[in-house]
Amino acid sequence: MEIFLQQLVNGVVLGSIYALVALGYTLVYGIMGLINFAHGDVVMIGAMVTLTVARLLSNSGLPGPLIVLLGLLAAVPTCMATGYLIERIAYRPLRNAPRLAPLITAIGVSILLQNLAMMIWGREYLSFPQIIPSHAFSFFGASISTTQSIIVIGSGVMMVCLSFLVKKTKLGNAMRATSQNPEVATLMGVEVNTVISLTFILGSALAAIAGMMVSAYYGIAHYDMGFMLGLKAFTAAVLGGIGNIEGAVLGGLLLGIIESMGAGYLGTLTGGVMGSNYQDVFAFFVLILVLVLRPSGLLGERVGERP
Amino acid sequence: MKLLEVKNLHVSYDGIKAVKGIDLHLEKGEIVALIGANGAGKSTTLRAICGITPMHSGKILLEGMDIGKIPPHHLVKHGIALVPEGRGLFGRSSVEENLLMGAYSRRDREIKADLEKIYALFPRLAERRKQASGTLSGGEQQMVSLGRALMTKPRLLFLDEPSMGLAPIMVQKIFEIIRTVASGGVTLLLVEQNARIALSMSTRGYVMESGNIILSGASSMLLDNPQVKAAYLGQ
Repeated sequence: MEIFLQQLVNGVVLGSIYALVALGYTLVYGIMGLINFAHGDVVMIGAMVTLTVARLLSNSGLPGPLIVLLGLLAAVPTCMATGYLIERIAYRPLRNAPRLAPLITAIGVSILLQNLAMMIWGREYLSFPQIIPSHAFSFFGASISTTQSIIVIGSGVMMVCLSFLVKKTKLGNAMRATSQNPEVATLMGVEVNTVISLTFILGSALAAIAGMMVSAYYGIAHYDMGFMLGLKAFTAAVLGGIGNIEGAVLGGLLLGIIESMGAGYLGTLTGGVMGSNYQDVFAFFVLILVLVLRPSGLLGERVGERP
Repeated sequence: MKLLEVKNLHVSYDGIKAVKGIDLHLEKGEIVALIGANGAGKSTTLRAICGITPMHSGKILLEGMDIGKIPPHHLVKHGIALVPEGRGLFGRSSVEENLLMGAYSRRDREIKADLEKIYALFPRLAERRKQASGTLSGGEQQMVSLGRALMTKPRLLFLDEPSMGLAPIMVQKIFEIIRTVASGGVTLLLVEQNARIALSMSTRGYVMESGNIILSGASSMLLDNPQVKAAYLGQ
């Protein structure tokens, strides 16, 4: 029971991060039907920038949480600019191209970002300095660290804010109109290019926050960390129903819990033949199951409606 | 002064010359019909005036001002609205959300009051205000599209095939409302394949054939024109 609770806690923490990244996929897909495979690499840039700031300031005597916050303040604008440039340079010229073209471009952008990061930060694993005091409290026998609770609460707050923005604000109205019919949205006075730019910027800001969380939580960052993380968040978005905001959150949390439970129990179940290093298998098993059984995802209904 | 004047408009669409140098104009308060067969270039003409299909050459003047270079999302502020072919609803959004999108560019305080006016005009939409617009019947969807265009407070309203796919009784209803809108001072350009109904409610008409305007004049005259009768009225 304690293992179960502990794995549940770990799963929710992991799932919160997946959910934040999945929101970036789902926002962009929702508005222009594009799977932005470079999104995971924007998370990597957020992680790298936060980590760089943390390393530079680790001996400054500033309190750890403040340093992480400063790292985030650098990461968010960097990622926003990256997201804006990706759309402007790589995707906008292909707005009316067949759908395969931007998809392949997305993979190209992903490779480009990874190589740029490798040139800037090198190919080694970079460790996050030990600046956050680790403090854990017990919850029915499972231990929860302050970092973990901040990740869950922080993600939750971001999700509520995003949901409010999309459902209740003028920008949100413009986003929903653009996603359903960009031409008619234009006739209503929506500047579609600006709305698409803002969607990328918004998704990238969430990616920066997720990157900060990943690097601080796992204590490590690497130029190709975005690849696997991106694929898993994409899986989470598909699981929940891509294009659907609640779906991304649900899919992220579920995937985090499934992975965490799988890693926790796989060894026992297989008599030690397979260990927790098979954790990654679960995400893709889930992806295949969803694609076979319910391609529209748990909460999605209208995938495939766009021409 | 002419409210709208289109001079020598050329539009290419998917590599095909869809509109080949047409001239047309609208006087303030008029209802004008633009009729012709499927593929004659009627919709392309409307789309070019609204800026959503780029024109190749020509001039589009709104009260003498060249609007050909104005970005399409600014045209709504100049009082131009389109009820697009196939209605163009935001299908997953509710009726009310669709109507309010019509007021997206407005900053005045009359939006709530205008919304109620639309509901008074279409009581059926008031009953369904929270329903996803994509689940409505064809006629109700046309009402939403028309209502949404009216929420922009247009001076000039383009209607692209408002009768398409509707039951005859619904067509009558929609055209009654269009008449009401026109009597409120909105200038209308009505694109229709249903030439009889379009000519019977307009003052003037243009007949389009393969990208050119081949006939124009008073609607009563066009209704009696043997060529129009043979080609478009089935007589």
